[in-house]
Amino acid sequence: MSLSLVAVILLIACTDLCDTVSQILLKASINSLGLHLDTVKTIIKFVIKLIRIPRVWISFIFSTLSLGVWIFVLSKADLNFAYSLDSMRYVFITVASVFFLKEKVGLGRWLGIICVVIGIALVAVG
Amino acid sequence: MKKQVTLKILLLLLNVDLIETFAQFCFKKSALLGANFQISNLAGIFNFVKIVFPSLYLWAGLISIFIIFVTWSTVLSKIDLSVAVPVASFSYVTIPLMALIFFHEHISLLRWSGIFFIIIGIILVSKNSMHREALK
Repeated sequence: MSLSLVAVILLIACTDLCDTVSQILLKASINSLGLHLDTVKTIIKFVIKLIRIPRVWISFIFSTLSLGVWIFVLSKADLNFAYSLDSMRYVFITVASVFFLKEKVGLGRWLGIICVVIGIALVAVG
Repeated sequence: MKKQVTLKILLLLLNVDLIETFAQFCFKKSALLGANFQISNLAGIFNFVKIVFPSLYLWAGLISIFIIFVTWSTVLSKIDLSVAVPVASFSYVTIPLMALIFFHEHISLLRWSGIFFIIIGIILVSKNSMHREALK
């Protein structure tokens, strides 16, 4: 019935990796559109343009995959434990943003992200 | 193009977090329906999906996810991904605080220190996103 600790950790890493791929693809698509959004009308146009991009659908698939694995983890593991480990997504996404989106992450931003990861682990465990 | 974290963006992200919380609640509710199934083989997975899929909770969660998609994409069109993601962790602060105010739940010292860390982290990330733009 219950899975081993290692299996749960690997599954959480899997859901976070899928989420990272999904976020990177979505952000890359948004960057490629390069629109300036200020009114509701431009936002609607933006969303319509966005869902026509194939990469966005691949992003959805990865997002769904991530969700599927996450639902499975939640059905097996303790919510607090799952959430505390889920904070590894912040590290994954930041590293991927640097490599694939060429975002410049300075020392200050890294420090902030590490604070967030520590904070989430504490909130979840506490 | 502006790339700093404004109050408007923070509020949008908070909105994403609140809907996300609702979605997570729905998903947990639907997942519990299938908690008794062995998901070690293909037939087990099929049975799990068959139980969870018709659940109204699952669909309420999915509609929430679409609203999140629109809001989140709008935010991402304005700021870096590596800024938006940590700042969106604000829900880890708001949810325990809501539990404290509305349900009078006890918040342990460990959890308070976690909330403190998250707030410091968000301030650092937000400040840094503005610095970069100022230098350009």
